[in-house]
Amino acid sequence: MRRLDPWLLLATLVIGVCAYLAQTSTAEALASPGYANRQLVWLTLGGALVLLLAFADYRVLARFSPLFYVASLAVLVFLLVASPLRAGTHSWFVIGKFTLQPSEFARIATILAVAALAGEHRKETLSRGLVLRLVAIIALPVILVVLQPDLGVALTYAPILLAALWVGGLPWKVWVGLVAGALVVTGAAWLWLLKPYQKERILTFVDAERAPYGAGYQQRQSKIAVGSGEVTGKGLRSGTQSQLRFLPAQHTDFIFAVWAEETGFVGASILVLAYGLLIARIFLIALHARDRTGALVAGCIGVVLASQVIVNVAMVTGMAPTTGITLPLMSYGGSSILATAIALGLVQSVWRLRFANV
Amino acid sequence: MTFVRDDLRGPQRRVVVLLVVALAVVALLLGRLWVLQVMQGSHWRTLAENNRLRRIPLEAPRGTVRDVRDEIVLDNRPAFQLLLFPEEMADAARTEAFLVRIGIADAPQVRARIDKARRTSHLPSVIADNLTWAQVAAVAAHRAEFRELEAHPATRRSLPVGTILAHLVGQLSEVTPEQLAADPSLRPGQLVGRSGLERAYQQTLGGKPGNLVVVVDALGRQVSTLDDEPPVPGHPLRTTLDLRLQREAALAMAGQVGAVVALDPRDGAVRVLLSQPAFDPDLFAGHLEPAKWRELVEDPLKPLHNRALQALYPPGSTIKPLYVAGALRDGVRTPASGAFCTGGVNIYNHPYRCWMRGGHGHVDLREAIECSCDTFFYYLARDAGVDRLASWSRTFGLGRPTGIELGGENPGLVPDDAWSRQARGQPWYGGETISVGIGQGPILVTPIQLAVAYAALVNGGYLVKPHLVAEGEFPRTPLGLPADVLATTRGGMESVVAGDRGTARRLANLPVRIAGKTGTSQVIRKVEGVTWRELPWEQRHHAWFVGYAPADAPQLVVAVLVEHGGDAASVASPICGRILARAFGPDVDQATLAAEIGAQTISLPGSPVTSAVVGAPPAPPPAPAEPERAPTAPQQPQPPAVTPPGGNRAAP
Repeated sequence: MRRLDPWLLLATLVIGVCAYLAQTSTAEALASPGYANRQLVWLTLGGALVLLLAFADYRVLARFSPLFYVASLAVLVFLLVASPLRAGTHSWFVIGKFTLQPSEFARIATILAVAALAGEHRKETLSRGLVLRLVAIIALPVILVVLQPDLGVALTYAPILLAALWVGGLPWKVWVGLVAGALVVTGAAWLWLLKPYQKERILTFVDAERAPYGAGYQQRQSKIAVGSGEVTGKGLRSGTQSQLRFLPAQHTDFIFAVWAEETGFVGASILVLAYGLLIARIFLIALHARDRTGALVAGCIGVVLASQVIVNVAMVTGMAPTTGITLPLMSYGGSSILATAIALGLVQSVWRLRFANV
Repeated sequence: MTFVRDDLRGPQRRVVVLLVVALAVVALLLGRLWVLQVMQGSHWRTLAENNRLRRIPLEAPRGTVRDVRDEIVLDNRPAFQLLLFPEEMADAARTEAFLVRIGIADAPQVRARIDKARRTSHLPSVIADNLTWAQVAAVAAHRAEFRELEAHPATRRSLPVGTILAHLVGQLSEVTPEQLAADPSLRPGQLVGRSGLERAYQQTLGGKPGNLVVVVDALGRQVSTLDDEPPVPGHPLRTTLDLRLQREAALAMAGQVGAVVALDPRDGAVRVLLSQPAFDPDLFAGHLEPAKWRELVEDPLKPLHNRALQALYPPGSTIKPLYVAGALRDGVRTPASGAFCTGGVNIYNHPYRCWMRGGHGHVDLREAIECSCDTFFYYLARDAGVDRLASWSRTFGLGRPTGIELGGENPGLVPDDAWSRQARGQPWYGGETISVGIGQGPILVTPIQLAVAYAALVNGGYLVKPHLVAEGEFPRTPLGLPADVLATTRGGMESVVAGDRGTARRLANLPVRIAGKTGTSQVIRKVEGVTWRELPWEQRHHAWFVGYAPADAPQLVVAVLVEHGGDAASVASPICGRILARAFGPDVDQATLAAEIGAQTISLPGSPVTSAVVGAPPAPPPAPAEPERAPTAPQQPQPPAVTPPGGNRAAP
């Protein structure tokens, strides 16, 4: 234990406690105590997973990463083919009372595979062939997830590629090309790919008064919830926006609004600082990794978690359009928590083995 | 970092960039939270409160109104109102479509009400009332969809006795912006008295509206009550009205256009106040639709007009007792004065005819009233002059409002030289004095003015202020009329009913001794040889009768005006007789009473206009046979052959 990073553990613990307290509030609002209890079970299991993975060797796992990767692709294909529709998507496995979302775990496998592949490379910049293989590795699960369809989760794969390319290294000319290409792709997506409701979300974000009771309703209610918390909040389980259900998707996408409403600026900033500490420690661990694979594992995980936290909090506070990206560890959902726990365990493993010479 | 491999330097540099960027974004998020929660916190807190709190206005039930016998005149009944919370309306067009679909009103109507509700205030507005159960159910079923609508239980004014009191109790209407500005206790959309008793006693009847603050959830369901400020109901009001007599008056006036005012001459307590035709008071109990309003306003018979207080008519012969009293007081005539009637006189080189073509022969002062001899009054007018006639009229309160609480009274007109110069720009024409001497010409009165004037004649010479609510002292202004003057005048009016030649002698056999005076005021110049029954309705004379009973100790004065009634003796006096018999006679049923007094109480011809008259019977048989006892109908004096300059024909 002494070889694990205490700051990372502390940040994880603080977020876990906040998550449980916030879920007790939504459980009351939604009259479903199961949300809080199950969240506690997942968080506890997640803690165990962190420790388990921390004492595993990430290098061994990286070596076996092709196996995990292929297995998770197989599961995603199986989902598309065999699983029944649930809430309009093929995202879930149903095992008894529990549901499992394999795309969350497939993301970890993808990160491991990417890190293992790029970690072999010792040059200052990645070769073209390697870049193409990295793109292919990430594109395959993304395509399968988009087909489910679950755009929110698919979007969380994009930072993996960016992180791998950034940490792995590319000439600056390629970055310019990538940015230009991204702009073209964005334009094309707007014209042909996005569904009307998705466009409406973005338009509503740009012009908030466009439809205060239509697509803008969620974000408006979320801002009201966050803002009305003021400095000290309305007290746990006393938030009017959450308890009277003005707040949409309050146990998942908008859980941060529940927390901010009930604990105010004090509680919300403690939580944001905990996430800041978590992310900072992950990047520091990437800095201290003994090899490229370790740096890539921690770097990718750091970028994925940071982008989720930033996009979600920005969405809840009205700085970004609603995307359906959840807040790691806070949002309700066992698969997401367990997958995040595995990721944090891997990071701890990188830290624990930073001096290993084997 | 004791040992760093070369190939790690590049990635490490770039991870530091990631670290810095991530920390910067986290700092940005903290800044955003600071702005939202600390700097703008109170703003968002207000929005959150608006989200969950809903202020529902509770209308105060208006006070009940009872008559002198404690019978209920005006009450409340439960009804549902539709409230609109403009702030919560997402899409006005959608709401409008919904309201049209459930039948609240047609689309332009609904749109106008929604627009008004949005303009008036941020508080909820009543946009419909008297909802049907189906509408209440529809609103409740779509509560989640239309959070801005709420079907709210309230009360609605009910008038159990119906249209016969429509003018008296008056109307409610939505409070105007000016009233709102003047009285902070009023609320937008609240109903306040607009006319009649409802307006006169708004302070008493109105009560104080309350508030209910409830917590609602995102579906608009009421979760709990936060603050309950119950409304204070209006105070009950006890009036001097006598519904028994009001009903009798309405039955007797059935099918007629006109007014009845009955009051206690001793203190001015009003017992009957009827104006016909009337309107359905329930139209005004809630929020009136403009179309209904227009229909009422454009009705040629003007049902909204309170004829008892607002309509002006020449008093005709009913003015004669007032002149007699004035003439006796001022010594222009003595009880022994008389005149010789040959059926007409020549004054100022113009012929003036008495209604009795053959003349009354010699009449003394009492007989002049009894048979309404015009000749006597032509001479009296000539001797008195118009200014003295005017002063006698004013003595009895003509020419100014009587001061009844209802307000909106028409002051009428008492013409004299000064009036002529001011209003017509020319001096008074002497020939007109002769017309005014028999209550024709420019002189105009309201039915309630005549009732008050007669009250002064029979109560010992006091001018009373008519009132509907007995509150405190009643001002009685002594008129300085000696008792013997009043006794002589009353003797004349008793002869009108009791005398052999009395114009209302058909009322002589009633169980109570009645006295009074007939009056027939002309609408158009009389055509020789044409009886009133042959004239179209709108050209017939107005028929007056002002009576009182018991004759020796009067407790009730009744003024009856039948517009275009044609004939006072056979049309107006039976109506008065029925009311007085109901008040003082044995308790007989309506039919017996009507039969006893004479069958001619219903005379309105079935012209197109009359179909709008409330309670109009099917067209009555044309020209029923004159009953045996019917006296020769009093006829109008022939007007001067040459119409005086300016014209003095009264056109009501």
